[in-house]
Amino acid sequence: MRSVKRILALAGRNVKEILRDPLSIIFMFALPVAMELMFYALFSSAAAQFAISLLAPGMAVFGQAFITLFIGILIATDRTSSFMIRLYTTELKSYEIILSYALAAIPAALIQGVAVYAAAAVLDISAITWHVIPALFAGIIPTVMFLSFGILFGSVCGEKSVGGVSSIIVTAQSMLSGMWFPPEGLSSGFLKVMDILPFKNASLVITSVFNGETSAESTLIPCLIVLGYSAVVFIISVFVYRRKMVQ
Amino acid sequence: MAIVISDLRKEYKDTVAVNGLSLEIRDNEIFALLGVNGAGKTTTVKMLSCLAKPTSGDAEVMGYSVVNFPEKVKAVIDISMQETAIARNLTVEENLRLYAAIRGLGKAEASRRIDELSRSFGFGKVMNKKGKTLSGGWQRKLSIALALLSKPAVLFLDEPTLGLDVIARRELWNVISALKGTMTVVLTTHYMEEAEKLADRIGIMKDGELIAADTAENLKACTGSATFEDAFVALVSKGGARI
Repeated sequence: MRSVKRILALAGRNVKEILRDPLSIIFMFALPVAMELMFYALFSSAAAQFAISLLAPGMAVFGQAFITLFIGILIATDRTSSFMIRLYTTELKSYEIILSYALAAIPAALIQGVAVYAAAAVLDISAITWHVIPALFAGIIPTVMFLSFGILFGSVCGEKSVGGVSSIIVTAQSMLSGMWFPPEGLSSGFLKVMDILPFKNASLVITSVFNGETSAESTLIPCLIVLGYSAVVFIISVFVYRRKMVQ
Repeated sequence: MAIVISDLRKEYKDTVAVNGLSLEIRDNEIFALLGVNGAGKTTTVKMLSCLAKPTSGDAEVMGYSVVNFPEKVKAVIDISMQETAIARNLTVEENLRLYAAIRGLGKAEASRRIDELSRSFGFGKVMNKKGKTLSGGWQRKLSIALALLSKPAVLFLDEPTLGLDVIARRELWNVISALKGTMTVVLTTHYMEEAEKLADRIGIMKDGELIAADTAENLKACTGSATFEDAFVALVSKGGARI
């Protein structure tokens, strides 16, 4: 019970640290919403790719990629500012500290999802159905993957380098998710890479749930791929984090 | 004895940071570890607070071995590090409440302790300010207040006044002086005046070894020095002769 209280207290602090950082507000909330509004206004009449049914869930997942950046920055900053060292002089265990970072990302991702879907409702209310609720919560699946990357990068990178390294994930989610362009016309090799990596699969899961599709091909298989990546990256990040802390 | 250190040694690759340190620190004593940069003071504190494992040797803190019972040790100690360890985007009160929760204090107990510390540290005006907006002196005060929340039996202060202006340093000295007799305080510093003013006894470290441990007056007397600074220079330049 004391362990749960400690984890929740620290997770609460981590949520506040993320939400009170003006850069988090800009990148996690304002940027995805602004991009959603801009791309809808500019391209929705020209390309089906930018209809709210595809744009909103794609943008929700794209926004979540910034969780890698902010969890990474938070951990790297805590390491360099001695806050982490202070935690290790208490009865807190490594797994409690890792869980507190992980738990902090989930409410942040949910708030972000609400912002993106609320903007979508303003743009095209007809595209919003009750499926937005499961889509919002399904967003926790890619969130786990992104926060795992954040824990990994925050554990190995310094305060200054973690931003650059994390931007690889943000760029990958943007370029390899297929949200900006239809996959038709891309080379088969590139499509294969997109299928194997988790980024397109993450977008596919949320887009399918958002649009009420339930086939195995559109939800279950991509979901399993994302969960697989999440599990692998999370295990590696926990291992690396503990190793760095022992050092 | 609050702390009994027996032949403690710490090696980092090719460097011996602490070498064969043996020392006893009494209950409710303020003990200063003094030495130039790289003398092994911070490494000693890290081993005593279970942040670093000794390469060999052991130390008992309030009767618990840092090697065999680090969890028991962590329950009776707290520390304020050289670098300020506070949550930057949390207010002073939120920092105190967070640390109280981590230390397992109930809500009522936490509120009572926060009120007490707020009065003794004079947090009134800054209670709702975020950590990152506080001056260096206030940040260091908050860091020490966090360490005092759980009323530890042993408090480690690693270079508590490093980088502070003279006013902030004097204010912190008053805070540390007020702790005298209430808990064991182990203070590392490289300021002679700070060690002489605050500590009941002073241990002088050089190249990872303890070369002297006594009161400031006795260290001056045994080196025939008029000032404590002269005594320190005499001891450190002696080439490691132990007192």
